[in-house]
Amino acid sequence: MGNFFSSMFDRLWGVNREMRILILGLDGAGKTTILYRLQIGEVVTTKPTIGFNVETLVYKNLKLNVWDLGGQTSIRPYWRCYYSNTAAVIFVVDSTDRDRMPTAAHELHLMLREDELQDAALLVFANKQDQPAALSASEVSRELNLVELKDRSWSIVASSATNGDGISEGLDWLIDVVREEQM
Amino acid sequence: MSTHTYKKFEEADSGILPDKMTIYQDCLNAFNESPVNAKRCRLLISRLLQLLAQGQTFPRTEATALFFAISKLFQHPNDSLRQAVYLAIKELSAVSDDVLMATSSIMKDVQNGSDMIKPNAIRSLTRVLDESTAFSAERLFKSAVVSKHPSISSAALVSSYHLLPVAESTVKRYANETQEAVSDLKTYPYQSGTSEHYPNSTYIAQYHALGLLYLLRKHDKVALMKLVQQFSAGNLLKNQLAQVQLVKLVGSLLQKDPQLVTQFTPLLLSWLSNKYESVQLEDAKLITSLPDRFVSPEIFASAVQTLQGLLTVPRVTTRFAAVRVLNRISMVAPEKIVVCNPELESLINDSNRNVSTYAITSLLKTGTSNNIASLIKTITNFIHEISDDFKIIIIDAVRTMALKFPEEWKSILNFLINVLKQGEGGFEFKNSIVEALFDLVQFVPQSRELAFENLCDFIEDCEYNEILVRILHILGKEGPSMKIPSLYVRHIYNRVVLENSIVRSAAVVALSKFALVKNDPTLVESIEILLRRISNDADDEVRDRATISLEFIESIKSKEGASSSAAEDLLQSKYSYDLVSLESKLSQYMSAKQESFKAPFDSSSVHRYTEDERKAIDLKRKQEQLFSALPSAGKSKRAASSSQDAEKRNGSYAGPASNEVDQDLQSTKFVEELESIEELKSLGPIINTSKEVPLTETEAEFVVSGVKHLFKNHVVLQFHITNTLTDVALDNVSVGCTMEQEDSTALQETSTIPVDRIMPSETFACYVVYEKSEEVVTEGFLNTLYFTTRELDATTHEPFAGDEGFQDEYEIDSLFLTAGDYIKGSFVGNFSACFDELPHSEVAVYNIKENISLQEVVDKLVVNTSCLTLDNTQFAPTDSNSHTLKLFGKSVLNGARVALVVRMIKSSKGIALKGEIRSDDANLCNDVVDGLI
Repeated sequence: MGNFFSSMFDRLWGVNREMRILILGLDGAGKTTILYRLQIGEVVTTKPTIGFNVETLVYKNLKLNVWDLGGQTSIRPYWRCYYSNTAAVIFVVDSTDRDRMPTAAHELHLMLREDELQDAALLVFANKQDQPAALSASEVSRELNLVELKDRSWSIVASSATNGDGISEGLDWLIDVVREEQM
Repeated sequence: MSTHTYKKFEEADSGILPDKMTIYQDCLNAFNESPVNAKRCRLLISRLLQLLAQGQTFPRTEATALFFAISKLFQHPNDSLRQAVYLAIKELSAVSDDVLMATSSIMKDVQNGSDMIKPNAIRSLTRVLDESTAFSAERLFKSAVVSKHPSISSAALVSSYHLLPVAESTVKRYANETQEAVSDLKTYPYQSGTSEHYPNSTYIAQYHALGLLYLLRKHDKVALMKLVQQFSAGNLLKNQLAQVQLVKLVGSLLQKDPQLVTQFTPLLLSWLSNKYESVQLEDAKLITSLPDRFVSPEIFASAVQTLQGLLTVPRVTTRFAAVRVLNRISMVAPEKIVVCNPELESLINDSNRNVSTYAITSLLKTGTSNNIASLIKTITNFIHEISDDFKIIIIDAVRTMALKFPEEWKSILNFLINVLKQGEGGFEFKNSIVEALFDLVQFVPQSRELAFENLCDFIEDCEYNEILVRILHILGKEGPSMKIPSLYVRHIYNRVVLENSIVRSAAVVALSKFALVKNDPTLVESIEILLRRISNDADDEVRDRATISLEFIESIKSKEGASSSAAEDLLQSKYSYDLVSLESKLSQYMSAKQESFKAPFDSSSVHRYTEDERKAIDLKRKQEQLFSALPSAGKSKRAASSSQDAEKRNGSYAGPASNEVDQDLQSTKFVEELESIEELKSLGPIINTSKEVPLTETEAEFVVSGVKHLFKNHVVLQFHITNTLTDVALDNVSVGCTMEQEDSTALQETSTIPVDRIMPSETFACYVVYEKSEEVVTEGFLNTLYFTTRELDATTHEPFAGDEGFQDEYEIDSLFLTAGDYIKGSFVGNFSACFDELPHSEVAVYNIKENISLQEVVDKLVVNTSCLTLDNTQFAPTDSNSHTLKLFGKSVLNGARVALVVRMIKSSKGIALKGEIRSDDANLCNDVVDGLI
């Protein structure tokens, strides 16, 4: 009986619920840096991810299971192996890399077409805003054709993983949306 | 999931394999759940591992799906689950695609995980790495190797063994850390108070590190020497396996360069009294397998003494290992282990039959002609108590003894017949006895009568068809030439009356051979009557054989001359084909295109052996079996590296004998090679081909070896040239030969066939052809290699377009055409009688000043004369300063016999040789004398 109540409360407060979040994006966009910025609040030196990193973190009473999948061309095909049960996708874009914006847009739309991700919320980080040549969030939004997205909660936030700007704003939005949708 | 399947899981001890597909589905479901149920997943993985361990496999797609599902468990921080995950990844890496997806996650654990999972993580990391990703793991391996935790260090070191073939350069980069790991004594990081509950460190990482270091430096002699020096000093190596490894390392150094023995002597001696039995054993094994002349008798004796001591220790494995080493020594130098005889004798009754069998076979080898009889008696009492497998080993030992002491044939024969007639024992056992008897009959002619008599008795009551057929065959083969052939006819005919059709047909063939007996017309008549009777047999095969035999006998009787000799040949063939080359010719014929079937198969190109030649080959092979039981350095190396290369290094030890089958194959290969060359086709068939002789060091830039082919009127010198350079091609390669006797007219150079181009690490042959008279011509050839070097473009591996190249020449060793090239080894049953009856004789005396052993002289003589050693004289005794070598052969030109008796005495001044040569052919006699040494 006690068990029943505690799980009721858990449901109410959202503790002990795990939520799967994927961090995707092209190679070198800053996905791993964002993951560890979220987990330990520091900038770590990273190597290109061969495969994936997964960390569990508690954010605002919510247990998040964050998967950072490698962005190299050879690894992108395996993203789909990790789509199931995903509550939200964080798509990270290198705002300075104008040349590959079309590639990023292509990968993003390809991913969003997958059945398993139809209910997932989308947060786009226009990353590396600390660099001088970075495109603004609205420019990135245009490059990625985000306005075309229908039936999906999405948002784009300008961010810098190295100095932490925009990261928590983005995540706050994401948590709110997910909480609303799932409860 | 339903409770039903869950229940099934709980019956973990039932021992029944879980259903593969159920496990597969459950795994996929459970691993994709969120949140993960760690306990259940661990259980599922263990079931999965159980399946894989039992040899079950999954198709690639399913294995890959499993792998991805398992990779999702990385989200759970439970250490025990993580260990299970690593085990599963390690297993699945072999059957699943895309395992590299786990790389980053594993690396993170290797870096930051707990000590408990780090070793597992390292082990599975090696499985997912490939050449391109290995370098990113270098730092991880480096720090794991130097880790203070023995398990982590060991895991990294052992994993590096597996990484070596994948990414050698990466492993090489932490060689220094590996070296550090050898000397670093790592202990488990527990408090001293609780240590009784935890294992004390065995310092096993030392062993692992030493092994890896050896792999990294095995080609660098100086580095290895330094290693030994460094780690043998003091009490650095605590781990016993590491110490054994060091002994082996010294062993591999000595194998390459036996000269180093003196340098290592103190070390070898100190290991003999090491506190670990395994180190003592390994050391004794090493000492006793070194080439004789490099080991002082004192060291050898103390090694034997150590082994002797180990024979009486309580530990069975040690006893076994010691007796095994002794057994090996007993094959080549039985006199050296005679001191151990008392211990060996007490081991005969050892409760472990492996030990007792080895003890007995060793005793058989150490036996001298004096005590053989008593030994045989011991065995007779003993042999009934052991299983067939051991009996066979003992029979084999008796068999080799029979070849070694032909004069003891009587007691050996009696023993064999006794065990043969005693009812018990399976087919293999009986067959090995019969085999031993056949050997005895073949090589000890005196024993034939008694042996055949008993074999006849035996077949009256033998349950094995195969053995019956074999005995009937040998009776048919040898019976007609015995004193009273009719004796055997009755026994053989009895089989026709009493046995089944298989035995009957064998008996018919055997019977028909008796019709060839020359001086007993009544016997021939009786055979005919018997065969006529048999031709009404109920079985087709038996009838057919009887009829055709009768037909042959008819034709022999009616017509004297050619056709009758053909019929005679079909009844009792004097030749047998060289089976190896016959097989290759036939398969070539079969695989050729349809049109080749229009012409019948031509058997004349297959080499045929006469009875004597066949026996010579058999005897040689049997003598070599003494060696093949030797797992010595020499032999195993021989198999590994190219035979000629090994022969050069170990020639003195393993003897000049080389595998006869290889030899056959090789000569067939040469024939094919030569036939494919237009210029050489006209020379006719090859009469004889010599062994391949190395003409350069094996380390030289161009490795050359030479082969001499004799034709009726020509000699062809074939040079195999290997280009060992990596960036240079050789163009227009030819060999220029100058004769030592320049004014000689016996040989005329007619043509040379050069090679157009030899690319790096390729081998090609070029030829020089001489015309010669039909007699025996001996000559020495001074050889020079001529070629043009062209540097290669590293990217295209083609010579640079504009490069003209350098003309260059390179002197190689001389090649000698000697009398030995005109002789083929042959067998004769009674050497001394044959020696006395040969008409021409020559005597030569030589004095050898070099310091070489008698065995080396023997080997050299055998090579130079290409004769077969007889009467067991191919081994020079190690305990005596004199030896008599008996050699026999036949000329390949005219079949003239050659017999040699060479007496040699070793003194402080060198070795004195006196060779007496007798032959049918006076010229050959002269030539052999000249070319003896």
